[in-house]
This record gives sequence, structure tokens and C-alpha cells, in this order.
Amino acid sequence: MELSFPSELGYERVARDAVAAFARRLGFDQERIEDLKTALGEACINAIEHGNGRAPGLRVDISCVCEDGRLMVEILDQGLNRYQQRNVVASIDTKLSGLAPLRGMGLMMIAQLVDEAGFTESQDGRNHFRLALYRNQKTPVAQS
Amino acid sequence: MTNSSSDTEPNERMIELRLPSRLGYEKVAMDTAASLAKRMGFDPERVDALRTAVSEAVTNAIEHGNGRDSTMKVLVMLTARPDELVVSVADQGLTPLDQDRTVMTPRIEDSFQKQDKGGWGIWLIRELMDEVEFTTAPTGGNQIRMVIHLE
Amino acid sequence: MLEDELSVSTRERDGVAIIDLVGDVTTFAEEKINNAYAQVTSKGAKHVLMNFRQNDYINSAGIAILIGVVTEVNRNNQKLAISGLSQHFQKIFRMVGLAQYADIYQDEDEAIQGFATAAA
Repeated sequence: MELSFPSELGYERVARDAVAAFARRLGFDQERIEDLKTALGEACINAIEHGNGRAPGLRVDISCVCEDGRLMVEILDQGLNRYQQRNVVASIDTKLSGLAPLRGMGLMMIAQLVDEAGFTESQDGRNHFRLALYRNQKTPVAQS
Repeated sequence: MTNSSSDTEPNERMIELRLPSRLGYEKVAMDTAASLAKRMGFDPERVDALRTAVSEAVTNAIEHGNGRDSTMKVLVMLTARPDELVVSVADQGLTPLDQDRTVMTPRIEDSFQKQDKGGWGIWLIRELMDEVEFTTAPTGGNQIRMVIHLE
Repeated sequence: MLEDELSVSTRERDGVAIIDLVGDVTTFAEEKINNAYAQVTSKGAKHVLMNFRQNDYINSAGIAILIGVVTEVNRNNQKLAISGLSQHFQKIFRMVGLAQYADIYQDEDEAIQGFATAAA
């Protein structure tokens, strides 16, 4: 399925509910759906705030495909800012000691909640962020 | 799928959902519409009414409009305005909607006689929504346009 | 056009200042949460309980706000506890490391009990 929504904070809540309903149809259990909702919400916020640079009038597109025993969710923004991979994700201790900004926990949360997460290459100038949930047991090794 | 911002008025926000034409997926449309309506401030009863109306409209699109061809899509467009929510459901038009079905009111007594116990979906949509319009989609299929007013 | 879905209120019980958070905890929650915290602190609260209710959506921005509160709690020598989170969000809070800085309880009664035991 595909979903397109305005690139404004708040609308990611509707995207979460839409994708959750889709995942429920595919038979994922409630706990994994909650994980997916949280990961998706964070990815959407990244798209709105970073990828789309909070610019008004833009949109975020989501596509959900189930194949090869995986639910793949792709989040696309309009690529105002190309996402730079940050290699170090700050821990709570560095944040509390004032050494790191309080924001930016989204990617860390995403990585721990789904089976695969990361940016994929694209030629269209847009940021493509993909999440994947495996239908059988969650694998111990998360790939990005 | 991204539309340019000139497609919507400044006071409107549009959410577009494209679903496979398979029974069961109307649930996704229902939850999406309910999610938006809830956050716009609609009462729980109006949200429930919307869920039912969307369910009927999408089921109709899947079963009749797209002839249950699962490669076809159902397009649901939700437009949030300050005082109302507009939901339009379009199929890819295999079977045009019989215009008579859009105006008749089924009677339960008639159903006892008939083979097909259905036909209540369209009536239900008209009963539950504030405005309903049956037209042709820009892409050529059937389109049901429903409006629910924010009190 | 979308409504702000968070309501924050404060009350007191058994010497614990309780901040009730009902609804979504996102970036928009900042002012409400910080105001509630400032309010209970100005009244001299030493034990503060963040009591979550009906929260379907707590995102990293909301968690950042809570970490901000933890920073202040540490500075003000207060003790912070958290209650009412769903299993999912208890997991999230532990993942993020908040459990090291605030005790996470199932519900309000458990939290009040926890404060009493610690003080004894």
C-alpha cells in the first residue's frame, strides 16, 4: 500500500495508525506492531524535520510491501536536505552531561525496534529510509 | 505519489492512501480515516460513523468497482479542512456503479424475499455522512465523495 | 488543524508531587511539561512522579523533554519516578537509559509505595 501525507509534525500519527493496520492484516502480533509504529514515527519525524527541512507544503510518502517473508516500509521525503549518516549515536549519559544534543535519539530507537533499518541509494534526489520486519522470529543481528 | 502543494487550498491538508483491491484492506482505510478524524476533534460517535461509511465505500470499490481484481487499487483521499473532513474513495472502474443503487432505500421486508440480502452499504453511507456524492473519478472509475462536518 | 492531544496536571499524594500526563508526548509537550515541573518544584517537591495515562504516542522528542526534566531533577536533588507506561514504552524508556535515572513503576500506587520504602 502507499500513503502520502503533509510534511508537518502531527501527521505522522495518522501514518503510524495506517501502517499498523496494514501490519495487523499481515498477522504481526501487537508487540511487533507497537515496535513498528514507534520506529515509523521516528522515521517520519526525521523526514519532516530533516529531509524536508521543515519546509511548508512538502509531503512524505510511505510505501509498504510484503515479500520474501518481510514487511518492508519505505519512507521518502522530498530531499531538501540529504541525510548525513551519523556514526556515533549519543548515549543518555552524554546527553545528561550536556555533551550531546537532546534530540537525535530517533535512529537509535529505530535500529533497536525493527529487523532492518537504514537509508537506501536513490537517483531521484529524495531520501529513502527503509524499515523491515521479518515475519518469523526477529533475528538477533540487525542489518542496516 | 507526491502532489504539488498547489493541488490543495492553503487551509487544507490532504492524505492519500492507495490500497490493494482485496477484502480485508478496508480495515486499513477505516483506521486511517478514524485516526485523522479523531485528531481533528470529531466526537467518538462521528468517528465511528465515519469508520463504517469508509468501510462500506471501500468494500464497494473492492467488490464491485474493481471486480475483486487484486492488482487494481482503491484510492482513498482524505482532505482535512478547518470545519470538515472530506473522504473520497475511487476504484479503477471495471463496473460502473448503477445510479439507481445510489438513491434507493432498501427495506428489510424486501430483503426477506430477495436472494441478495445486501444493498445496505450505500444507504448506510448516506445515513451516516453529512454529504454524499457519487461521481466518476478523474481516472475514470467510480468515486464516492463523503463529507463529515466538524460541529 | 490537528489538535494538541496532551493534557498535563499536577496534584499531591503522600508527599509526592504527581504530574499526570494524558495523551501524546511529543515536541509540543515541552512547555506543558516544563511548566508542571517548575510548578511542583517551586512548591518544594522532593519526590516527583510522572504518571502517564492513555499515551499511545511518546516519541524521541518527548523523551528528550523528559531527559531535560531528569537533568533538572539531578540538579535540584529531587527524586523522580515514572508510572503508568504501557509495556512497550517501559521497554523504550529502558532502551534509552532513563531507567538508570528514574525508577519505572507499573502504576501510581506502586510508585507511591516505592517512594515510601526508599524514604524509610
